[in-house]
Amino acid sequence: MTDEARKHSQAEEPPPIGGSWKTLYAVVLLTLAVLVVLFHLFTRAFR
Amino acid sequence: MRPLDWAVLLAAMVGIVAYGVWKGRRTRDLDDFLVADRRMRWHHVALSIMATQASAVTFLATPGQAFADGMRFVQVYFGLPVAMVILSVTAVPLYHRLKVYTAYEYLEGRFDLKTRTLAALLFLALRGLSTGVSLYAPSVILSVIMGWDIRVVILIIGGAVMLYASMGGARAVDNTNFLQFLIIMGGMFVAFFTIVRLLPADVSFLEATHVAGRLGRLNAVDFSFDITNQYNFWSGLVGGCFLALAYFGTDQSQVQRYLTGESVTQSRLGLLFNGMVKVQMQFFILFLGAMVFAFYQFTQPPVFFNPVQLERAREGAQGTQFRALEAEHAAAFEEKQRAARAYVGALRAGDDGAADAASRELLSAQERANGVRASAVEVIREFDKKPNDTNYVFLSFVTHYMPAGLVGLVLAAVFFASMSSTASEWSALAATTVVDIQRRLLKRDASDRFYFVSSKLATVFWGLFAVAFAQYAGQLGSLVEAVNRLGSLFYGTLLGIFLLGFYFKRVRGTAAFCGAIAGEAAVLYCFFYTSLAFLWYNVVGALVVVAAALLVNPLTGEEKKN
Repeated sequence: MTDEARKHSQAEEPPPIGGSWKTLYAVVLLTLAVLVVLFHLFTRAFR
Repeated sequence: MRPLDWAVLLAAMVGIVAYGVWKGRRTRDLDDFLVADRRMRWHHVALSIMATQASAVTFLATPGQAFADGMRFVQVYFGLPVAMVILSVTAVPLYHRLKVYTAYEYLEGRFDLKTRTLAALLFLALRGLSTGVSLYAPSVILSVIMGWDIRVVILIIGGAVMLYASMGGARAVDNTNFLQFLIIMGGMFVAFFTIVRLLPADVSFLEATHVAGRLGRLNAVDFSFDITNQYNFWSGLVGGCFLALAYFGTDQSQVQRYLTGESVTQSRLGLLFNGMVKVQMQFFILFLGAMVFAFYQFTQPPVFFNPVQLERAREGAQGTQFRALEAEHAAAFEEKQRAARAYVGALRAGDDGAADAASRELLSAQERANGVRASAVEVIREFDKKPNDTNYVFLSFVTHYMPAGLVGLVLAAVFFASMSSTASEWSALAATTVVDIQRRLLKRDASDRFYFVSSKLATVFWGLFAVAFAQYAGQLGSLVEAVNRLGSLFYGTLLGIFLLGFYFKRVRGTAAFCGAIAGEAAVLYCFFYTSLAFLWYNVVGALVVVAAALLVNPLTGEEKKN
């Protein structure tokens, strides 16, 4: 495998958790959505 | 500061410098010095990224911001996780595949030399000036709190960073950033638990939180749409995303952090971890400030938190009037404390009617206290045109109320926060100076050893420049403010150029250059003639660059040529 090909294959290497990069990206964005909802509830609960 | 605090602070400072020097001792060549031989694991990349972004001012100003204005500042970070995902998909594999040392190298291959040089010079000018300011800003606060000469504080921070950053390069910087960030967060957690422990015995943590909330300090989310207000959900999500894309995708001080990752996977995981935890971290630091606010509802606060200005006002021409205002402030505090306890009692009894009445009384007592404080600030304005004590609130609490040893730990954390962002900036400035300017424009065919030594010297140069700039920053007045604002005026344009590179393959150099000029003109127009919140400048700048380049591209003839 050439150096360039090895780098390409590295780019496609799956993440160590979550199965695929798409899943991991979704987890990051879902975490943000959950946090926004929680912060909204927090704001309402303590105003 | 007690002897134990001095011992902790001294041990922490000596320890971290020794650790940095030790970690960087095997740095032997340019690859090692600029990108740590690309061998860093994701957790090092992640914490180094976070330590670079979080300067000392972050840990001093953010709790103060919550104290004065509530937690709405957290919304600025809502766009960051989205940006981390976008950069993981685009920039990370691209930079790794090209094996670049700096983000600007990519621009030459994609566009041309002039675009690369323009971006590199822009970074050197802006970051070079701002690194002096970012050294100066926490030094002012630390010197006031510790009673030291500011020049001594600047020399301590600058000298410590220069030792390990110039000897070990990116390897030393990333390793110390990692350890420093753990200690910083440890210090913040200790401070938080101390506040909770220092609340009055008859007021629970939850009840104190309700008091802070009732007084408007727990306003974390606001969904109203207003482009003149940067602290709402929409500004944070859209403007914050563009700002984070620009900062993490085009600013070498951050790009260099994930270029040290040993693979695309490790760099991506580092960025995604940042995206996963950054918002919560900012929320925690703001909540810490809100809890300091809650603490001061039951413990008499000073009328002004900057001790030097407070003393000057007491001893100045209007000292008698100021002391009378302090007495009035103390009386207003007593009244407010009674109202706060009545509110807590009503909440505990579950009496909604009494809670409503007590909360109205609490709000009006707060207004009275604010009025007295405003009069005191007017007295201070006699000798300081812009009195502001927001940055002193947290450290004032720490030095007055935290137990021996822990004060030293928190102060060490603040020093570390300043050192970590400064070290990353100097390392990035050195990389850009050598790779984009010296090696590309001035001396193209020298040995690796030559560029390695040049990088070390460049780190020392930028360190000396920052220390010298910081020494005189206090006398530069509005220039310091101008430098701080300047970054936000150019980030959008820089981002637009990179977006063209990543997503618009047909656009070539001349069109990108014209787009950059149009984008910058649009940002400057917004700055001078509109009340648009600054987070939106990044959106306007980037979108105008892209739109103008797409319009100009067919007219240049370069599209067909390529």
